[in-house]
Amino acid sequence: MYIPSYDDLTPSIPDITPGETFAHVRRILPQDHGPVVAGVGAPAGAASAQLFACLRSSRTPDALVPIARDFSPRLERHGSASVVLDVGGLGRLLGDPQTIGTELQRAAAACSSQIRVAIAETQTAARLLAIGNAALTVACGDVAAAVAPLPIDTLRLFLDDDQAPLDKARPANAARIKATATRLDTFRRWGLTTLGEIAALPLTDLSERMGQLGVMLQQLASGADRAPLVPDPGIPRFMQSMELEWPIDALEPLSFVLARLLDPLSAALERADRGAAALRLDLRLVDRTMHQRVLQLPAAMRDPKVLRTLLLLDLESHPPSTAIDIVTIEIDPAPARIVQYSLLERAMPSPETLATLTARLSALVGETRCGSPALLDTWRPDAFEICRFMPEPRTANREPRTANREPRTANRDALVMRRFRPPVAVRVTVDRGRPARVFIDRRGMPGGHVLQAAGPWRTSGAWWKAAPDAPWDRDEWDVALSDGSICRLFRDRLGECWFLDGVLD
Amino acid sequence: MTAARAQLETLLRARKLDVTLTSAAPWAARDAAPTGIAQIDDALGGGLARGHLSEIVGSRSSGRTSVICRILAAAAERGEAVALIDTCDRFDPACAEAAGVDLSTLLWVRDTGDAARALKAMNLVLQAGGFGIVAFDLADVHAIAMRQFPYTTWMRIARVIEGSQTAAVIVGAERIARSPGGVTIALDAPASRARGRWSGAADRARLLRGVDIQPRIVGAR
Repeated sequence: MYIPSYDDLTPSIPDITPGETFAHVRRILPQDHGPVVAGVGAPAGAASAQLFACLRSSRTPDALVPIARDFSPRLERHGSASVVLDVGGLGRLLGDPQTIGTELQRAAAACSSQIRVAIAETQTAARLLAIGNAALTVACGDVAAAVAPLPIDTLRLFLDDDQAPLDKARPANAARIKATATRLDTFRRWGLTTLGEIAALPLTDLSERMGQLGVMLQQLASGADRAPLVPDPGIPRFMQSMELEWPIDALEPLSFVLARLLDPLSAALERADRGAAALRLDLRLVDRTMHQRVLQLPAAMRDPKVLRTLLLLDLESHPPSTAIDIVTIEIDPAPARIVQYSLLERAMPSPETLATLTARLSALVGETRCGSPALLDTWRPDAFEICRFMPEPRTANREPRTANREPRTANRDALVMRRFRPPVAVRVTVDRGRPARVFIDRRGMPGGHVLQAAGPWRTSGAWWKAAPDAPWDRDEWDVALSDGSICRLFRDRLGECWFLDGVLD
Repeated sequence: MTAARAQLETLLRARKLDVTLTSAAPWAARDAAPTGIAQIDDALGGGLARGHLSEIVGSRSSGRTSVICRILAAAAERGEAVALIDTCDRFDPACAEAAGVDLSTLLWVRDTGDAARALKAMNLVLQAGGFGIVAFDLADVHAIAMRQFPYTTWMRIARVIEGSQTAAVIVGAERIARSPGGVTIALDAPASRARGRWSGAADRARLLRGVDIQPRIVGAR
């Protein structure tokens, strides 16, 4: 796509003057000057409007996309081993296709010697040539002739790249993959060895024998594209780094550095309509070691003050061992939250508020000592785990969270116990098999004569397990004591000891 | 004289300067958080006052924890987030869930008996806002540790939640503090010697059916 410049044309076409309209230029331009297409691009002959390059490497697939992005933003991945990029507009910048290919090969060689490069006027031809030829291949003109000498196995590898992302567990995908392999085997049984021989088959007969799948394979074997290039949107990196002039060994000055890094990151996230799903903080210390922290955020957020507070609170709990030289923050982006507030429901604390609150509480009482309790699916007494506190607005469909177990039915008159963790060892006088008096050697604890007692309720479990899931076997008693308290005692049948489990209150 | 005093109090309330008034605004004008216990709600005119600090006091096995669980369960039924600052780590999630508490809306802060640290946690939760009920369990904290709190502590706490939608509740063995608009729910010991509701005459057939709760409202105006 190229409009000849005034300097290019004036020697041979004196009628053209600067400021002429495109229609006027088209009218007076000689036919042998090449096509003129509205837009900006390379001159015809330097590189055609449709030109694709393929980078392929099965050993270093991670290096392909960065190399491709250096040349063109329009790229598409095919499996993990191939990347096709649109190089149609690079002629003005780099030159003819051969030069573009050479530049691509040079960039690829700087990363890995295993990367193959091919350039053709169709994506399919470029991919087939990259699979079939180890050296740089540039095919401009008849792409069918360029791919004709390639063996049939080239097409098999081509299809493997396309089928790699498919879920092979799905019956439809598995059937399609199997059908394609069968067709290729059939070609081989017919004595065909190259793609050119497949392309030369009569289309009607091929369609009658193999259906649309056979026609598709023939189109691919002739280097024709079945779909336009679908550019990969890509994931921009949200990273900021700062090398400090003087090492920092305290959190207060570090907070200013974090603010300087997080403000532009937050602005970039806002422009991209993204939030931070995770924060990665890399601190290079003066002793050349790295102190890395990763914060998983409960919801996508981008308020720089909240992010800075969370980082500082985490560093309070996990401080670096020495002074800091370089600070780097990288954010894993996630789609921004869309919140629809209701006039009829009471507002819950926002995720930003909860994240900050949880971080502050964790720093104060410990990470495992604040959160939302969830009962475990076991009969072991006092079995629960602490989960991240993330209350959800109450809806008709919301079910209570349970850790792999059935929710229990609520009973308003249920006994509520104040549990001692760990249970308190007590001395119990037993009369005719029932507790008669309870002694505890600690001040402020219940004790006295047993006025009423109910039990024993035997519970045991985990006898088949070893530590730390220690087995339990106990007889529980509910007792009313003379000091006015109602307690739950249990006799540990494994250790033959009595314990105070809690006070019913 | 009475009319002038009422007018002055109205003016103070209009400017949100009524925290030191000895008389309170009519209940109808307040946003209350029902406790889920009809006897208490009737006595309080709807429930605990939001934006105020109340307290539940009683001796061991008087039903303090049962009452607070009922309050938390009622708040969860209304779709509110609730928090419990558990100074001595006494809360039992299994019992609470059986009593109707939705554990997924409960923020449980477990301390190891350090009342000063638990008070800081309480302050953080109240300042964060957004909670319907914030309960502060000091029932097993020794009286000496309680007396070490400066007197202004509770005034500061009351000031933090003033005007908010949060009802803060302290659970204790004896009266600790409440804001001018808050109430004290005193749980009295039953007259019988052995507490609790028991069934079954024979030893082997005896069952503990529940804990008797006898609430008495102190300071509701």
